[in-house]
Amino acid sequence: MDKFSVLLFSGLTNGSVYGLVGLSLSLIYGANRVINFAQGEFVMIGTMSAILFMATYNLSLPVALVLTLGVVLAMALALEFAVYLPLRRRGAPPLTIMIGTMAFAITTMGLALLVWGPNQLSVPNILPMEPMTVGPLITNWQQLAIIGAFVAFLGLTWFILYRTSFGLAIRATGVDPKVALLMGIRSDRIVRFAFLFSATVSGLAGVLIGPLLGGQISIGVALTVKGFMAAILGGLGSPFAAAAGGLAIGVAEAMIAGYGNSLYAEPIIFLIILMILFVRPYGLLGDFEAARR
Amino acid sequence: MLQLDNIRAGYKGTEALHGVSMWVDAGTIVSVVGSNGAGKSTTVNTISRLVTTYGGRITFEGRDITGLGPAEVVDMGIIQVPEGRQLFGPLTVAENLRLGFHRQRRVKNREAAFRDKLDYIYDLFPRLKERAGQRAITLSGGEQQMVAIGRALMAEPRLLLLDEPSLGLAPLIVEKIFDVLSGLRAQGLTMLLVEQHADEALALADYGFVLSVGKVTVHGPGVELRSNAAVTSSYLGHAGAA
Repeated sequence: MDKFSVLLFSGLTNGSVYGLVGLSLSLIYGANRVINFAQGEFVMIGTMSAILFMATYNLSLPVALVLTLGVVLAMALALEFAVYLPLRRRGAPPLTIMIGTMAFAITTMGLALLVWGPNQLSVPNILPMEPMTVGPLITNWQQLAIIGAFVAFLGLTWFILYRTSFGLAIRATGVDPKVALLMGIRSDRIVRFAFLFSATVSGLAGVLIGPLLGGQISIGVALTVKGFMAAILGGLGSPFAAAAGGLAIGVAEAMIAGYGNSLYAEPIIFLIILMILFVRPYGLLGDFEAARR
Repeated sequence: MLQLDNIRAGYKGTEALHGVSMWVDAGTIVSVVGSNGAGKSTTVNTISRLVTTYGGRITFEGRDITGLGPAEVVDMGIIQVPEGRQLFGPLTVAENLRLGFHRQRRVKNREAAFRDKLDYIYDLFPRLKERAGQRAITLSGGEQQMVAIGRALMAEPRLLLLDEPSLGLAPLIVEKIFDVLSGLRAQGLTMLLVEQHADEALALADYGFVLSVGKVTVHGPGVELRSNAAVTSSYLGHAGAA
């Protein structure tokens, strides 16, 4: 039971981060049909900025958080203005823009290498990491904070999408951007919101997961891939399905690694996802995407 | 109210309209008829600014709108009911209607104004009130057309563009839709109606334009066009014979 509980929480923690990346990818995809291959880099920059502001400059937590948020938001605007808008203006299809986001990801990693170097740095934890027991379960505050952030961002996303007029406009653009335009909805604003909101989500996820993953500039790529798998497994058309996909992958990964072999965890998971997609090509919860056709 | 001067327009370098001039006076229904591929939809989409214009000028209430984008034209009150209805399928009927209200997002007492408008639409199409919570994709073709028209009316159009509202609907439903349109004219709404069912469209219209291969060939009052032998034989085809 102890082992199970430790694995479960470790899975839920990593899964929350995959899920938040998946949610971010899904929001952006809904707005402009682009998979943002730089999304994991936002998590990485969140982690590394936490090191910079909290450890290197020794700033207080609130100041460090605000500055970190500033960095990831500036990064989102850079992605929009330096990659997305110039390509869009020239009539580039989504596939071309995806390559643009990949270039942005690699450039970001290169710049991060100059600032932080290639080695793994220790990331200051905001909350205590000593094990504690909650009933029969064993966890720590840092893990609970990540899972809490996951739930909070899911709730916030749901509120925006389903309880505001702006959210309705986002969903309409996700269904059909051209018809949304006929309603007078400007997709540019929705795209900007999606980039900024996703950067916030991923950046804060980075601050929280940093102490557990370790601060290294290479962590972004794996997170992009797993976030993307999460979105595909759950269903790319819905940010909530994408988030659920992330949790599923995180937990499966921890269980397979814990009870089986950690070397084989990733191949086994991707194999399982492939099997599931044979049966449900739009993802486990992908009826939204399917209904669109 | 709306004026097209010598418009040349098309998609991706292929010109589909070769110098089209037409006009719509306030408070009237103007019908544009013609066979498949004559450029009817292109005309509507040119006015909605979804199509590239290569030459000519479009003015709306005295303002040149040729250089504007689709959303800006909507803000001015030119609202389109697109061909094939184009509802947001996974969204509910009520949500589709609310999206039509997007143009009104800056009015005072927005929620009250929205409720009023919604009540007006539900009076016009009582069926939609029963279906308010259903996904639009689950509705019949006729009901979907009601949502499409209702959604456009939510925007409080100054000029309503209708692209083939009868497409794919049973004759009885078509008749109902045309009844609603004639009711809207009685309320003073200005409309540009594009239709393959030329006979019905011209019967409803104050004025009509016949489009053929991207050019206006004949125009005149609706009744006149309807009885014009040349129009009947060449463009109304089976409709005239029926």
